[in-house]
Amino acid sequence: MDIKLTFNGESHEVEIKPGDTLLKTLRRLGYYGVKHGCETGECGACTVLIDSKPANACLLSSAQAVGHSVVTIESVGEHPELGWKKSAGLHGIQESFVESGAIQCGYCTPAMILAAKSLLDQNPQPSDDEIREVFSGILCRCTGYKKPVQAVLRTAATARGEEVEPFESGIPASPEWLGGEGEPSPGFDRPFTGIESGEVIAPTRVMPSIQITPETEAWQRVGKPEKKVDAVKLVQGKPAFAADFERRGMLYAKVLHSPIAHARIKHIDKSKAEALPGVSAVLTWQDIPRVVYSTAGQSDPIPGPLDSFSLDNKVRFVGDRVAFVAAESEEIASHALELIDVEYELLEPVFDPAAALQPGAPILHDEPEYVNFAESDPSRNLAAEIRIDIGDVEQGFSEADHIFEDEYEVPKVQQAHIEPHVSITYWDEDDRLVILTSTQVPFHARRQLAPVLGLPIKRIRVIKPRIGGGFGGKQEVLSEDVAAHLTIATGRPVIYEYTREEEFIASRSRHPMRIRMKTGVKSDGTITANAMYALSDTGAYGSHALTVTGNTGHKSMALYVGAGEYRKSPNIQFYADIVYTNHPPSGAYRGYGVPQGFWAVERHMEKIAHELSIDPIEFRTKNSIREGEMQPFSTAWSEGREPRPETIETCGLDECVLQGKAAIGWDQKFGNSDWHQVPGKLHLRRGIGVALVMQGTAIPYLDMGGASIKMNDDASFNLLVGATDLGTGSDTVLAQMAAEILGVKVEDIIIYSSDTDFTPFDKGAYASSTTYISGAAVIKASEEAANRIRVRAASMFNENSEGSEITVDDIRLVDSKALAPDGRSIPLSEIALDTLHHKDQEQIMGIGSFMSKVAPPPFAAQFAEVTVDVETGQVVVDKLVMAVDSGVIVNPITASGQIEGGMTQALGYAVCEEMVYDSEGRARETNLQDYHIFQAHEMPELTTIFVETFEPSHPFGVKAVAEIPMDGVAPAVGNAVFDAVGVNVDANPITPEKVWRELMKSG
Amino acid sequence: MIVEYYRPKDVSETLEIIKNPKIKMVLMGGGTAINRFSSESFAVVDLQDAGLNSLHEKGRILEIGATVTLQTLYENDNIPLNLKTSIYRERAQNLRQVATVAGTLVSSNGRSPFATAMLALDAALSLKPDDETISLGDLFPLREEILGSKLITKVAIPLNVQLAYEYVARTPADIPIVCASVAKWPSGRTRVVLGGFGDAPILALDGPESGGEEISAADAYRHAGDDWASAEYRQEMAKILVNRCLSKLEISK
Repeated sequence: MDIKLTFNGESHEVEIKPGDTLLKTLRRLGYYGVKHGCETGECGACTVLIDSKPANACLLSSAQAVGHSVVTIESVGEHPELGWKKSAGLHGIQESFVESGAIQCGYCTPAMILAAKSLLDQNPQPSDDEIREVFSGILCRCTGYKKPVQAVLRTAATARGEEVEPFESGIPASPEWLGGEGEPSPGFDRPFTGIESGEVIAPTRVMPSIQITPETEAWQRVGKPEKKVDAVKLVQGKPAFAADFERRGMLYAKVLHSPIAHARIKHIDKSKAEALPGVSAVLTWQDIPRVVYSTAGQSDPIPGPLDSFSLDNKVRFVGDRVAFVAAESEEIASHALELIDVEYELLEPVFDPAAALQPGAPILHDEPEYVNFAESDPSRNLAAEIRIDIGDVEQGFSEADHIFEDEYEVPKVQQAHIEPHVSITYWDEDDRLVILTSTQVPFHARRQLAPVLGLPIKRIRVIKPRIGGGFGGKQEVLSEDVAAHLTIATGRPVIYEYTREEEFIASRSRHPMRIRMKTGVKSDGTITANAMYALSDTGAYGSHALTVTGNTGHKSMALYVGAGEYRKSPNIQFYADIVYTNHPPSGAYRGYGVPQGFWAVERHMEKIAHELSIDPIEFRTKNSIREGEMQPFSTAWSEGREPRPETIETCGLDECVLQGKAAIGWDQKFGNSDWHQVPGKLHLRRGIGVALVMQGTAIPYLDMGGASIKMNDDASFNLLVGATDLGTGSDTVLAQMAAEILGVKVEDIIIYSSDTDFTPFDKGAYASSTTYISGAAVIKASEEAANRIRVRAASMFNENSEGSEITVDDIRLVDSKALAPDGRSIPLSEIALDTLHHKDQEQIMGIGSFMSKVAPPPFAAQFAEVTVDVETGQVVVDKLVMAVDSGVIVNPITASGQIEGGMTQALGYAVCEEMVYDSEGRARETNLQDYHIFQAHEMPELTTIFVETFEPSHPFGVKAVAEIPMDGVAPAVGNAVFDAVGVNVDANPITPEKVWRELMKSG
Repeated sequence: MIVEYYRPKDVSETLEIIKNPKIKMVLMGGGTAINRFSSESFAVVDLQDAGLNSLHEKGRILEIGATVTLQTLYENDNIPLNLKTSIYRERAQNLRQVATVAGTLVSSNGRSPFATAMLALDAALSLKPDDETISLGDLFPLREEILGSKLITKVAIPLNVQLAYEYVARTPADIPIVCASVAKWPSGRTRVVLGGFGDAPILALDGPESGGEEISAADAYRHAGDDWASAEYRQEMAKILVNRCLSKLEISK
């Protein structure tokens, strides 16, 4: 049908099908700022303004929009520099988003800006609650919403002519400055009646509190709140994400997923599907080579079994692949799926990992091509086995006065990045296969896909455009092979974009585990031995099976080494079985096994302290690992590779505890019975809890990143890195490091990542490694370029001077100039012109790569404050405070955004997120309504404090930030619930019924 | 899959279109449920121009046009405060701007806060072409059968009623595991409705006067167990939430 639509004030005659959504039509017409995140209206990434009000384009038909004004992000603001054309510049909201760090991956940013615009157009003085309300229909998985709210508050204040908090280089954190007592918790009143409380919980001060280490004081770029280098394009909704790069003649791929948990495919008839007009290819296991591989994006050799095929003659979970279709439209492809007849031979499924280990259990992997890694044993459904003994736990137990044993459980949860998995594949003009994909691991993807596709590595080019969040979910080669097989089959470009339901039933998730703890403790609180056994459900395939669960013990069981003599030689045991079941596969998810471990360890430590009547913080710090001590696991395990001893060089944990306690008012609240009551509400109790945590920074002797940099005529620099910014801000911090070394502004560094043809190798974005590993590579490359600049500058100084000779080492690069000790200077742009055009011409450039021999752990103290309804068991988290030692903070705003966003994801892990399956393996959660992730208008107060240490293994003293905020929230909330009502919930999420049941048990 | 689209200019044109459909005909309010992908082929009749989007107070009754959006109703100052709460909890703002009152009721399930509150208010729906009126309680169990090719034109709720709404959920903005709404008329008539489970909210009690609300609530949820909560838990919560609703009503007297 032909309709007339008005987009951004312009009228368009459009031919549509009656069922075309407004989202589809807008994107077809090139309005790429409107994003696809789900099909059911929950994520809000497709928000546009309809008659000035935010609405979801995915749930409006195009025909419905006739007669209405539709506004997209494309009409809001423009780049401030457009050559000779005068630019109106960015809109004030966009500027505030850029400045305030309100953008991480940027996928939901256009939606948020439009929603904020609709609010500010009506209300120039919105409250915090009103802003959160207008954001309530837009899910952000990265930021925790704090900075977007602050950005709008700043925009509004600026527009009213009011002062806003400046961006300082750091706000010192001290117990005195932080005040300590804190305001009384709002309990249920704010979030539950939540419409008009007017309470401001995100002031316009964007900078986190930082206790700055002295080594950083002279730096100009590192440690400063620089704007994100990609922010300007993201606030404009520019076509930057994989699905935005449509190709002429592109086909749409769909996958037929198994409705059965365990079956052999007896017969497939695809003839009807192939005969459907518009269908270009239908592929089954009979059509493509049978190549065994692992979907886990990891370095070679993959530290896990090879147990997957692009398509197999057996299905192992509800959601497993059965067939691929490529067609002229999504609708035709979907229809074609319905026409494929599949005859299954049903096999007995097994869903319980303990049952799967028993003799006689159904075997998932009986294929002859299976390739073992280490102790994997498919005949026992064992994807991996870990047995680590440090010291002598039995001796330690025998020396203890008390033995504490308990069991804990953690659920399967989803990364829920708002941008789904997307890949576009095509043959280029040289008949090389181009894979443009939303991946965290472009180089691993290329290497791993080559044999699967029957191509040499050199004939594959992987391009990683902007990524709309990954959190580990895109450390998996999941969508690329589908599109690539179909491109090979048809010769045409193909896009394969997951639906939200596919994300839930057919991608990867956090490993669920049952964890048994046994701890020996002396009456004075000295831990004498600590043992953990983890039974981990890897689901149908063993991707990341060994390494995720290995990290469960490697990090969480390393934190408490014992006190006195025990800390010199701790007694620790970590055993784990990682078992195949007919659940959807587990995989990598931010934290990588460590949140599972800390749920058990930190709940357990709380119970021990309580039983022994020892202050829970004193008990923890008495036994926790310290600077100068050996990471106990470093001699025992290293992700399936040779372990090498490693000493902890920096540990700011005690200071984190001090700062965190002060910020949450621990001393005023813990043990204070008056505080635990909620005046006028007898059914409510307050509680406060703590958890101490540690992570790692990269994988030692393995993770490597590369960088190259070249100088341009105007003394700007092209920095090419293989590192993958999936929204974390890594491109920005890498540019800051280069700018610091080269003495230029960050805006003079043009960073590009990543393309396997053009950028150096990088292992990818995982293991909290980019700032540390790729950063060190950038530093090396920049130093090489800087040295050549100094050489040229010395020559230029000496050429024009009769005074004492200036040596290369005398020259400093500052403020885009080369400075001589005598005060003379040469602009870098002159040096650039000299080297490129005038004399002894050369290209100033540098390359560098870095591999670390250590994995310096960040540490953190996580605090939580809750209100518990003693009648219903309902828990509301009122406040989260995290004090973190991540070494030197390169960019306080992006780093605090990582902490806020991580705490928010972890909050879901604490109270609501889980993936549940019925007795036949069918998922309960297939959309973002049932799988609830926190929304803007229900967030607790978030506080971030950085306690800087200077990690000596890195030139800028950095350690990791990205994953550690996932680790402590759930146990801290669990401990706060215990503090509030005296019951222990040992399986997260802490749902109302679980709390209620424990309350009933306790009488 | 939507294969035909109609946008009638008034009610009579709407009725004409839906009178003798050649294919399945679906009436569309905001489209938040209908526009989701479906492999089934059907036609939609978009009611946005049919003149059903106004609010009228008639004495103690509020007549809500079928296509009034949830946000419009939410912003109405005369509706009971707890009806606002239920709307607020039904959907986030984006969807409230588009979702309509009738569309939400027709497509809702037992976990709908708005449907729970509207059932407590004993909302009445006016249907065309026969100008019949049906209560929400009568509609819920037989939605497809009753509606067939009929058009909901308005939904009426009393304004002289006290309404309370309480719920339990995993987080403040999550859909409820259990919810309860109690409406009390000046005559003493009391309606207790439970939500959070099943295909539709359940009327636990409709009595001429107060009394027995907790027992009725617990009885109504005796078998209300599913993947989200046990029946035992829902029964206990039903009692507690109904009690809280009654306390709220007592306080607000």
